[in-house]
Amino acid sequence: MIALIGKRTAAMVVILIALAAVIFYLQKISPLDPVHAQLGGQASAGAVADRRHQLGLDKPVTAQFWQYLTNLVHGDLGTSFRTRRPVMTDLRAFLPATLELALSGLVMALVLALILAFGTTLKWRGSGIFRGVLLVGASTPTFLLGIAGILIFYQKLGWLPANGRSGISDAPAGPTGLLTVDGLFQGRLDVTVDAIKHLILPSLAIALGPAVSIGRVLRSSLVADRHSDYARTARSKGLGEFRLLRQHVLRNAVGAALSMTGLQVGLMFAGVLVVEQVFGWPGIGQYVAQSIPVADFPAIAGVTLMLGVAYIVINTAVDVLQAAADPRIKT
Amino acid sequence: MAEPSLLPSRGRVGRRALLGANTARSLNWAGALLIVVVTLVALLAPVLAPHNPLQPMGIPFRQPGSNGYLLGSDTIGRDVLSRVLYGVRASWFAALAVVLIGLLFGGVIGLISGAAGGWVDNLLMRITDGFLSLPAPVLAIAVVAALGPGFVHTLIAVSIVWWPFYARIVRGEVRMLAARPHVEAAKLAGVGRFRLALRHLLPGALPAAVVTASLDIGNLILTLAGLSFLGLGQSAPAPELGADSARNLTYLLQYWWVPVMPGLAVMVLALIGNVAGDSVRNLIDGRQGAR
Repeated sequence: MIALIGKRTAAMVVILIALAAVIFYLQKISPLDPVHAQLGGQASAGAVADRRHQLGLDKPVTAQFWQYLTNLVHGDLGTSFRTRRPVMTDLRAFLPATLELALSGLVMALVLALILAFGTTLKWRGSGIFRGVLLVGASTPTFLLGIAGILIFYQKLGWLPANGRSGISDAPAGPTGLLTVDGLFQGRLDVTVDAIKHLILPSLAIALGPAVSIGRVLRSSLVADRHSDYARTARSKGLGEFRLLRQHVLRNAVGAALSMTGLQVGLMFAGVLVVEQVFGWPGIGQYVAQSIPVADFPAIAGVTLMLGVAYIVINTAVDVLQAAADPRIKT
Repeated sequence: MAEPSLLPSRGRVGRRALLGANTARSLNWAGALLIVVVTLVALLAPVLAPHNPLQPMGIPFRQPGSNGYLLGSDTIGRDVLSRVLYGVRASWFAALAVVLIGLLFGGVIGLISGAAGGWVDNLLMRITDGFLSLPAPVLAIAVVAALGPGFVHTLIAVSIVWWPFYARIVRGEVRMLAARPHVEAAKLAGVGRFRLALRHLLPGALPAAVVTASLDIGNLILTLAGLSFLGLGQSAPAPELGADSARNLTYLLQYWWVPVMPGLAVMVLALIGNVAGDSVRNLIDGRQGAR
C-alpha cells in the first residue's frame, strides 16, 4: 500500500510538472507581451528593458522555466493584467464560492448516480422515467439546465432563489468561506438553509451530465457482479436484493465508478465555470469570464493551473482509494 | 456466465428480439442517417434561414410564432430562427471538424505507436497519458486564452486536448490485431512495415475508432457550446449558439426565448449526435458480430 502511494505520488509530481510546462509554453507563444501589458504601449525602451530584466525574461528559457516552477511552488502565480493584483490573491477571494458549488455538485452527481444505478438494476418503479429524464439532461448544455431551472423553480414556482450565493446581507465571513459550514459554526442556521437553497439549482445543473456517466458505469458493474458466485451464495442464504447490492456487490463494483468520477471532475469544473455565469455566482467562473475578453493570460493560466492541480490530485487520490477498496489492485 | 443464475427472472425481452432484427437494423440506419440530415440542414442554413441573421428585421422582442418570426426576434429585432440556423451550422461543423482532426491525428499516433511497439510505443503513450491526465475542457480554455479568442483558435484548442482519446483506442486495437494470425502471416510473407500498418492493421482498427468518434459528436457539441458560452468563440455579431445564449441572459425573465432558443438548439444537436452515435455503434458492432 505504501509502495503504491509512493508510486502514484511520484507519477503525480511528473504530471504536475508537465502541466506547468504546458502553461509555461502557452505563455511563451501567447502574442501578448507581459512587459507591455504591465507598462503600457507607450513605455520607453529603457523601462521595457529594465522590466524585462526584473522579470527574468532576458534569461535562457530553461532558467525561466525553473524560475516559473519555483514561483509556483511558492504560490506565486504572477500578476493579473486586469486587476494588477497577484493572481493568487484574486483566486483566494473567489475560491470558496466555487469550492462550495463544486463539492455540492459532486455530492449531487454521486447521489443521482447511485439512485440511477440501483434503480435500473433492481428495476424500481419509476426508474425508467428517472433514467429517461437523466439521459435527456445529459444531452442538455449546462447553461440551458441552469436557465430552465431558473424559469421553472424561480419564476414559475418561486421555490428557489436564482441569483448569487446568499440572500442574507450580514452573512458571517469565515472561518471556512463555505456559507453552509460557516452558518453552522456561527450558530446561524438561517444562513446555512439559505445557502443550501441557493446551491440546489446550480449544483443540479452541473451534476446531471456526470451523474449519467457515473451511473452507467456503476450499473454495468452492479449487473455483472450480481451474477457472480458470491452474490449467488449470499442470495441463497436469503439476503434480499437491495441488501445484497448495498452490502456485498457495491464494494466490489465501486472501483470503475470511482475512476469514472475522477475523470468526470474535469468536466464538472468546466460546468462550474459556465453555471456561475448563469447564476451570477461570485466564484472563479466570474473571474475567468472577466479575464477572457481582455486576454488576461496570467489570470486564466492561474485558474487553469489551480483546476488542473485539483484534477490531478483528485485522480491520484481516486487511484489510491480504488486500491484501498480492492486490495487485489497492486500496481 | 453459463451457470444457471438464481436471479428472479423478471425477464425483460431485448429490444432486438421484440422488434425483430430487421426492424432494429432499419431503425439504426435511420439514426445514422440523422447525421446526413443535420449536415444538410447545416449546409443549407443560408437557404433555410428566413432572414439575414445579422440585420435587424423588425421590432425587438417579438414573441415566438408572431407573424414571420417562428422563434421570435431578439434584442435588436433580429430573427432568432435565422441566428439559430447559422449557429447550428457553426456548432455542427465545428464538432465534426474536431472529431475528424482527432481521428486523423490520434489515429496516426495510435497506429505508429501500436505498429512500432518498443520505445516508440512507450514514448508516444506516455505523452498521450500525460494529455489524458489533464482536465481537457479547462486546458482548452487556457489554449484559447493564449492564442486569443476566435472560432479557429477554439477549434485548435479543443482538437489539441481531444486527440489522445483516439490515439489510445487505435493503439489498443492495433496491438490486439498485431497478435492475430493474418498479421503474422503477412509478416512471414515478407510484407514491409509500412504496408503492414496500412493494409493489415489500420482497417481492423477503424471500426472501433469510428464508433468512438460517432459517440463523441454529442459530447463535443456540448463542450464547444460551453466554451462559446464563456466567450471563447466568434466575436459579437456572429451567430453562435452558446454565445447567443450568454449575451442575452439578462433578458431571461422578460423575454425567455432569446436566451433559451439557442440553448434548445444545442440540446437538439447533442441529442441527435448521441442517437446517431448509438446507431452507428449498433450497426458496426452488429456487422462485426456477424463476421
